[in-house]
Amino acid sequence: MAEDRSKRYEKIDFLGEGQFATVYKAKDKFNNDRIVAVKKLLDVFGQRSNISLVFDFMDTDLEIIIKDTSVVLTPPHIKAYMIQTLQGLEYLHAHWILHRDMKPNNLLINEQGILKIGDFGLAKFFGSPTRVHTHQVVTRWYRPPELLFGARNYATGVDVWATGCILAELLLRVPLLPGDTDLDQLSKIFQALGTPSEQDWPDMTSLPDYIKFKPMPGTALKDIFTAVSDDLLCVLSKMLALNPLKRCTATEALKMSYFSNKPAPTPGPQLPRPRCNIDVIREPDLKLSLKRKITDPDTAANADKAGTMGSYFSLSGQVTGG
Amino acid sequence: MEDVCCPRCKTTRYRNPALKLMVNVCGHALCENCMDLLFVRGSGACPECGIALRRSNFRTQMFEDSGVEKEVDIRKRILREYNKKEEDFGSLRKYNDYLEKVETIIFNLTNGIDVEHTKKLVEQNKKDNQELIKKNRMKLSHDEELIEALLEEEKQNQSQNRLQAQREEEWERRQKRKQKEALIDDLMFLDMPADRIVQSHRQEVTSMGGRKDHPDGMPPAPPPPITRFSTGITLHHGQQHGFIPVPKQEVGEMYQYQPLVLTQLGPDVPNDECLITNNYVARVRPATTQEEAGGYRAVFACHRSLQDAFCGLFFASADLLQVTSMATGQSTAQTSSGHSSMDIG
Repeated sequence: MAEDRSKRYEKIDFLGEGQFATVYKAKDKFNNDRIVAVKKLLDVFGQRSNISLVFDFMDTDLEIIIKDTSVVLTPPHIKAYMIQTLQGLEYLHAHWILHRDMKPNNLLINEQGILKIGDFGLAKFFGSPTRVHTHQVVTRWYRPPELLFGARNYATGVDVWATGCILAELLLRVPLLPGDTDLDQLSKIFQALGTPSEQDWPDMTSLPDYIKFKPMPGTALKDIFTAVSDDLLCVLSKMLALNPLKRCTATEALKMSYFSNKPAPTPGPQLPRPRCNIDVIREPDLKLSLKRKITDPDTAANADKAGTMGSYFSLSGQVTGG
Repeated sequence: MEDVCCPRCKTTRYRNPALKLMVNVCGHALCENCMDLLFVRGSGACPECGIALRRSNFRTQMFEDSGVEKEVDIRKRILREYNKKEEDFGSLRKYNDYLEKVETIIFNLTNGIDVEHTKKLVEQNKKDNQELIKKNRMKLSHDEELIEALLEEEKQNQSQNRLQAQREEEWERRQKRKQKEALIDDLMFLDMPADRIVQSHRQEVTSMGGRKDHPDGMPPAPPPPITRFSTGITLHHGQQHGFIPVPKQEVGEMYQYQPLVLTQLGPDVPNDECLITNNYVARVRPATTQEEAGGYRAVFACHRSLQDAFCGLFFASADLLQVTSMATGQSTAQTSSGHSSMDIG
């Protein structure tokens, strides 16, 4: 049986190396020569044998699209990307999984314009009353204030904040809060959104790494995002609420009027495709973060939403194990 | 008129008709020869005030009073940084105050009043408004926009007129040929005296001359293309900034939220509000203030434990389910949730 499996996939090309594994592009001979990404895990838990995981092959990601200046992102495009991202996030959160590394680079897009959430290297279960988490997660520019203040027990708000930053980045085409250090990140956040008061965020002072910032009024969102509709500003303000308990969830965000209002989201196949070569856009020192090309079909945004418990458990095993 | 004279070598225009005075940022003039002599190395000090100058900054003096040149220089420099527009201010009064302030700064710098302090002011302004200055530099001022619009209009009119003239000429030529042919035809086939025919044709031509403005055989000139919106914003304005035209998109289906359906082979977990109002939350450790500040709520743990406990309960076949007692339910809850503090009542 194992023999069959290994013969099923024919290696085509070396794609790159991630933190834990090497990745190959391969052809699925049992399935119309579909192109897949094979991630070979080396020495899992000290075992001798290799474990290979097979993922969908995704040809681009949101970062490439944002950075490609020849791509025009219209409001329907942005809405389509956001809906897919939030649906994926809702699915993850419903299964008590925090992604903890949401960023454009980890939102993979295939030829059909289907967006999937990838790179579960930092994903973890949440909702346990006893387990504490590390606050050193999420790429800094997308890290929410509670993590920067060192919160050890947090919830879905961290992913929602990052998704809000991604939405802002889709609109601006540059990162909204590009902090140089953790401290600078906080001051950038408060410069843009205002320093929270005790009413806005009670008990904020009790967080382990809380630092008092001088009160700043913040900039009105409509001044940062000129030419953005009011319903979208409303989504942004809810997703980028400083207090994690006041931040909306993925489900609440999807229910907001922006998504059901006109214009309708662009259908997948019509979503823009980057014209430039990936290597042109990416800095040369980032040799390969090929993990962005792999996704787990179970957790992907458009995966079968009525996923069975079976896939739930296999998924959970993979996430905690990895 | 006083004769122009170089302050250094005292050459006058009388002695050297090719005399050309140059000024630099300090506003002191030098003739071209002196400049060549003093600034062989590209930079040097002004012979009058001793300020370090660059040769490349010299330009021909346009105004007789070199002080004006200095002011123009300073004004150019200051206005590059003090470039706020009327739209940046709440009221006209504030804008006027701002303009007044700018004038004061320029005056002070030109006349050497309180230079240090003024320079500091300028520096401070530059630091404070960096973003705005950059943004405004990209924007064209109202005047520039107006001039651009006028130029555009003029160009359009010109090309329009040229086209019109060309068309009229063409029509006239064709008309003449037609008349000539008609005359010859008449001469050939009509049996009237030739001079009568010629005369009647001449009459026709002269009467045509009056109608020349409205040639019926010619299509009316097309209206000039629309160059601006009804609000007065020019359409062509954007093009020079290199906008990429937005591709036409088919309209997709409107989005409607569909609740996520989880198949968990077990009874549904009550929603969060229900867990709180029915006091299920009391069964898990309440969240500390620090945890609440971090976004954690006790109801999450409560919900998750219940979900873990319930999921898979209906997995067994129907008759097996009947035998299943509360006790097995309990054990499932314990093993799958891992939170032994939970108590499923």
